[in-house]
Amino acid sequence: MELLVSVALGVLTASGVYLILRPTTFSVVLGLTLLSYAVNVLIFFSGRLKATAPPLTVEGLSRQADPLPQALVLTAIVIGFGMTAYLLALALKGKAESGTDHVDAGEPR
Amino acid sequence: MAHLPILPVLLPLLAAVLLLIGTSADVGVKRAISGSGIVLLVLAAAAQVAAAGDGTISVYKLGDWPAPYGIVLVLDRLSAIMVALTSLLSVPVFIAATAGTDTRGPHFHAFLQFQLMGLNGAFLTGDLFNLFVFFEILLLASYGLLVHGGGLVRARAGIAYVVLNLSGSALFLIALGLLYGFLGTLNMADFGTQLQLVAPEDQGVVAVTCALLVTVFLLKAAVLPIGFWLPHVYTAATLPVAALFVIMTKVGIYALLRVVTIGLLATPWSAGLLQPWLTWLALGTIAIGAAGMLAARSFAGIAANLVLVSGGTLLLAVAEPTAVSIGAALYYLVQSTLVTGALFLLADAIGRQRGASEDDLGPGPRLHSYTVLGLIFLVLGVAACGAPPLAGFIGKIMMMQAMEASAYPALVWVALILSGFVAALVLARAASVFFWEPGAPGIEDKPDVPYLPAPGLTAALVLMTMAIITVSVVPAPVASYARAAAEQVLAREAYVTSVTGDPAAVERERRP
Amino acid sequence: MSSTLLLLVLFAPFAGILAVAAAAHVSRAAGAWTAGAAMAAGLAGALAMAPDVFGGTIVLWRVAWLPEWGLDFALRLDGLGLLFTILILGIGVLIVLYAAYYLPKTDNLKRFYMELLGFAGGMLGIVLAENILLMVVFWEVTSLTSFLLIAYKYQEVDARISARMALAVTGGGGLALLAGALLLGSTAGSFDFSVIEARAADVRADPLYPVILVLFLLGAFTKSAQFPFHFWLPHAMAAPTPVSAYLHSATMVKAGVFLLARMYPILAGTDLWFVLVSSTGAITFVYAAYVALLKHDLKGLLAYSTVSHLGLITLLFGLNTPLAAVAAVFHIINHAIFKASLFMAAGIIDHETGTRDMRRMGGLFYSMPRTAVLGILAAGSMAGVPLLNGFLSKEMFFTAAVDYQGFDGAYLILPAVATLGGMLGVAYSVRFVWDVFFDGPSHAMPKTPHEPPRWMRLPVEVLVALVFVVGFLPQWSVGPLLTVAADAVLPGQVPEFKLAIWHGFNLPLAMTVIAFGLGVLQFTRRHKLYALQERFAWPLTSPVAFERVYRGAVRASTVVLNGLDSKSLQRNLVLFFTFVLVLGAYAWLRTGWFGEHDAFLTGSIPVTPVDWPSALAFATLLFGSVATVRYRRSRVSAVIFLSVAGIVVSLAFLRFNAPDLALTQLSVEVVTIVLLLMCLRYLPVSPEAVSSPRRRLRDGVIAAAAGVGVTAMVYAMLTRPYETISGYHLANAKPGGGGTNVVNVILVDFRGYDTLGEIVVLAMAALGLSALLAGTRMPAVPIRALDAAERYPIMLAELMRPMLPLSLAVAVYIFLRGHNLPGGGFIAGLVAAVALMLQYMAGGVDFASARLRLNYVALLGVGLGVATLTGVASFLYGYPFLTSTHGYVQPPVIDKFELASAMAFDLGVFLVVIGTVLLALTELAGLKRGEVAGPDVPPAEREA
Repeated sequence: MELLVSVALGVLTASGVYLILRPTTFSVVLGLTLLSYAVNVLIFFSGRLKATAPPLTVEGLSRQADPLPQALVLTAIVIGFGMTAYLLALALKGKAESGTDHVDAGEPR
Repeated sequence: MAHLPILPVLLPLLAAVLLLIGTSADVGVKRAISGSGIVLLVLAAAAQVAAAGDGTISVYKLGDWPAPYGIVLVLDRLSAIMVALTSLLSVPVFIAATAGTDTRGPHFHAFLQFQLMGLNGAFLTGDLFNLFVFFEILLLASYGLLVHGGGLVRARAGIAYVVLNLSGSALFLIALGLLYGFLGTLNMADFGTQLQLVAPEDQGVVAVTCALLVTVFLLKAAVLPIGFWLPHVYTAATLPVAALFVIMTKVGIYALLRVVTIGLLATPWSAGLLQPWLTWLALGTIAIGAAGMLAARSFAGIAANLVLVSGGTLLLAVAEPTAVSIGAALYYLVQSTLVTGALFLLADAIGRQRGASEDDLGPGPRLHSYTVLGLIFLVLGVAACGAPPLAGFIGKIMMMQAMEASAYPALVWVALILSGFVAALVLARAASVFFWEPGAPGIEDKPDVPYLPAPGLTAALVLMTMAIITVSVVPAPVASYARAAAEQVLAREAYVTSVTGDPAAVERERRP
Repeated sequence: MSSTLLLLVLFAPFAGILAVAAAAHVSRAAGAWTAGAAMAAGLAGALAMAPDVFGGTIVLWRVAWLPEWGLDFALRLDGLGLLFTILILGIGVLIVLYAAYYLPKTDNLKRFYMELLGFAGGMLGIVLAENILLMVVFWEVTSLTSFLLIAYKYQEVDARISARMALAVTGGGGLALLAGALLLGSTAGSFDFSVIEARAADVRADPLYPVILVLFLLGAFTKSAQFPFHFWLPHAMAAPTPVSAYLHSATMVKAGVFLLARMYPILAGTDLWFVLVSSTGAITFVYAAYVALLKHDLKGLLAYSTVSHLGLITLLFGLNTPLAAVAAVFHIINHAIFKASLFMAAGIIDHETGTRDMRRMGGLFYSMPRTAVLGILAAGSMAGVPLLNGFLSKEMFFTAAVDYQGFDGAYLILPAVATLGGMLGVAYSVRFVWDVFFDGPSHAMPKTPHEPPRWMRLPVEVLVALVFVVGFLPQWSVGPLLTVAADAVLPGQVPEFKLAIWHGFNLPLAMTVIAFGLGVLQFTRRHKLYALQERFAWPLTSPVAFERVYRGAVRASTVVLNGLDSKSLQRNLVLFFTFVLVLGAYAWLRTGWFGEHDAFLTGSIPVTPVDWPSALAFATLLFGSVATVRYRRSRVSAVIFLSVAGIVVSLAFLRFNAPDLALTQLSVEVVTIVLLLMCLRYLPVSPEAVSSPRRRLRDGVIAAAAGVGVTAMVYAMLTRPYETISGYHLANAKPGGGGTNVVNVILVDFRGYDTLGEIVVLAMAALGLSALLAGTRMPAVPIRALDAAERYPIMLAELMRPMLPLSLAVAVYIFLRGHNLPGGGFIAGLVAAVALMLQYMAGGVDFASARLRLNYVALLGVGLGVATLTGVASFLYGYPFLTSTHGYVQPPVIDKFELASAMAFDLGVFLVVIGTVLLALTELAGLKRGEVAGPDVPPAEREA
């Protein structure tokens, strides 16, 4: 399972990075979203896979998951969402200003 | 004043809240809110400098939870310096912005306040994840300020800047996730403690994690080869904003300094992680900055590349942290921040009087306030190229003496001297262009341009000039405070015990 | 008392600057008088201290500036300092007077005198500094002020560039000097001259000595225009003549030789010193004299003769013999006197004839006899004619050259060099006299020359008088001053020297005779040389050349930076990712591989078995992410594949016991996808956005490397146990935070500060988005996209409306249970927002804008305010920011109140989330409105 998760994260990261390196703003947005998936899951799994119960302090629960990473991931998700929204607006702005959605606004490369 | 440490974060936040609620109020009201927020901030910062002056490390437990379980703010001399510098810089920036920049788009003052909140938060926090959060705050605020004013150039620079920084943030999170995964803590002090307990077979992966963390800060500090974005971004922004951005590279330097002194220096195997390559990168950064100054087409371009140079110079000290080198670097940081910030404002002042040719290094119409700008240019230019007798020179000789014991003293000296030399040549050329060539009294062959006086801008410039002259004439207080701060950050144990108490007493649970 | 007087002497000129600034408004004369008075005051102060100095004491004054870094405001007045102070201020006064007549009446001299005084002050600082760093400070002050002075006539492009050239050379030399001073300071362990002098032997023995010496010499040679740094000086003649007369007789260039004199007791006496200094001096001495002979420009001739005489002085210092050192100091005095008078005479001639070209003037002896006599006498002194002061020092020079017993053969070369230089000196002096004052009155000059106003001639007369006095009665006039000055150069070992006109028939006298004979001969055959001059113009020395070099540097760096392609985001991203990978690899290899312990990737935890659902999810995730990459161009499908990946992620959260995350991820997913789809309509695929195969390969490699890296690190992490602080959170969530849902308690309590920051980010994102899109008009949109966007809401419409209250109720429920069970303000906010958003999608713009007439920006403010004030509220109880009030209020209200406190904070979160989402949506909707032609809400209103 550990290997499975690691590879999954690797693939997410790789596709994210590849998309970020694409020349159009839209691909970059997609890439960053994929990358943020990878990042969130990574933080989440810094609590490992062994737990058997959600981090609730309710009677009868044992081996709860590590709550701290979960809290961090929540913050990360929210911030990531804000950033994505903003980047989208920026992409639109760039499109409106330059008429193209090339990240370098129509530079040769 | 039990709540002093939180004030530099809280005051801008409250100001911003008011600005948002009163978003439909007219600009006068907004300026009043923003301005009074900044005045209060300066007072708070001054109080912090005084409070940290005697060497006490005040730890502020947010939510009254002890470190390392909760988030704590740590106010020591270094934080006090950075917060004070930020607040001081914000005053002229605010005054200059009220000369019309703030009306060139919505929400300027809200973003300004958020920016200050983010900066101060980053300087004060003692928690790594919280550092990330405040990085995001100051970044998002800087995005807003950068594109303020609109236009293709800003949109482009904005996209480049945002995407690059989002990648950086992703890396930051990866580093934090791994860090927690290996060390099980987020508190900076505790991070150092846990680093010492890493089993030999785990050192490799932990070292990689630390390297990732360092990279994030290097991106913010705009070091070669990941610092090329800086000149383009800074020159794209409206100039008062650029003046404020000067402090942003210093955030990277600051964070790096913290992580190195609290963390990496804690163990022998992580202590050498930055050496020797960081020195080389720093030298490279200085070189690129010098080249950039030569290639710059506008006065703001020169200033932006000077920021690059000063960043590289500071990294030299971070690469080889000793009480002497860091002490020198902190004085250098203060003066170079003031000087480069002032240069951007000067670029604005000159640009406003030259119509279409703005602050480009080419012939333009007559400058209206010729003498005032000339004198200010003289002072700032001298300070900027590190020529005597101003702060730039003092900072330079401090750095040179501090680096005498470094790994490559000769190289460092050559870099510092040559960069100053290039700056002198470039600024002399700029002076000749702005004050002696067509447009100067006696050869006014260019048509005059309509010019609306910007008293605020001039006032801001005079303020900055005064500040620079002050730290030049009486450098001793700043220098000795900086030195004391350097010694404090290098005293790991004292920091750790005052934040987390006895490290051994921290409750830890072994998982899974 | 006298020591503070020293400070006053130094500050007299600087105070004068301000005084002039004020006085020049009164009248031109007032400015002149003020400037003169400032200089005179300084001079008087120096003379008042002269007795002490002659008495052999060194006047010291000190105030701390930055002592721990060696920078101290320490001043000293010794013989050398006194000598130079007298030269600087004495000649300064004359220059002030002279300039008042020389410069055009239209110029109110304010700027001139201010810069002149600043320069004089800088010079004084150099000669009075006790701390070498302080000397460097004033050294650069002179570089800067001379830059301003040379550019005085900035209307002429030559003046501008020459000024920058001078700054480049002398300022650059100053930087070398700075490095030298710092090195010397750390070697000697002090920055005070007196201390360093005491440790001179150790300094000369130090391995760093050669470096220090070279750096100091760079400073001296650039300043005093020694070959090959001489070229800036002749072009500095672009300055008005008073400036030249000052800079090139008594001051600027003398700073260089002053440095040699100052450093003589510390650095001199070694073979290296001899080789470097004397050879440089000798070359400059002869070369410059030769060039001077070829100059047709009056000031050009004088400029090169200045360079030549400075070479002579340098040579003398280089000889390492006491007598030579004395001769050097003596010649500094004499040269200052006669060269200043010559420049001023030249200025008068230029002023009265309107030209400086010696080929165009002549016969001035008849039209302006007085000036002519003065000029001839000064020129005679320059040539070394007996009975004039120049003769004496030149005689001493010849003697020193003859007596020199240094390297084998050197004693043969030196006299020859001396004679040769002397000969050329005679030649150009004769030429100066002949071409200007005689050589027939027949020339056509722009103006008909006549005598200048007597006050303009007075300074020249004074100086020429000195030429005579010193020439006739050397021992009586300058003897004491020379002795005490020499004593500063050769502490305690000043040789017996006799300042007499007649030393009897000896070799030096013979050399003088030869020099004169050959010199005159040379002069008669000068025209042959003029022909050569054109060809032997030094290529690198014209302002044009300097500008060319500078532009070259600019172009070079531009090319480099463009080569680095630093503008392109893609390039910067590639650099960034590569940097991360390289650094990570470096860290791994350094610590893990080559470290003393061998590190392993796999940890000690046994791996958990794979279950089928997980494997299936894994496959789906792979498919989702790869498909997103593959179909990124057909954008709608890319978004759908993306959402597939996202849903798998939220399932993973669910599977691994993180219900909060699953809920959040899901709701965020929905909103994100909707936003993406809305923006999609404005971002059609652009044809040019297909990158080359090489580029794709490169990016593929980087991406793969990043993937491998992450995989490795995560695997290493997952297979290792760890010690965490989170046990504390589990333990204290209920007792300390009053909630059973630990994640939520962490969010609103343990790390509520993070959450506050997080909603600030959220609010700012919305704010920035609206600021960006306010007033933005998108280009026309392809029709198909519009259809696609418009069609599906229709079916939703009927379905959604009844669901609004329901989903809001759900939101409230989630909000309330959050503190104890999965849920909380954020998720609730998103659910509510999604519900409202669906309304918008279903109903379309009009429906939405009809209902969503809130001011969302203000809503954001309110949300943030609520959250912040909840935090501040705990101040009232004397607890830190964001302390939950749990347990701080007495029963029975405690339970409610505690709930309320957490809730208030969560409410803030809730409001911010709703505000953010809806603001984003309406702005995008506003965009849609924006592109539809016709009646339209202007951005300003929409923004408010």
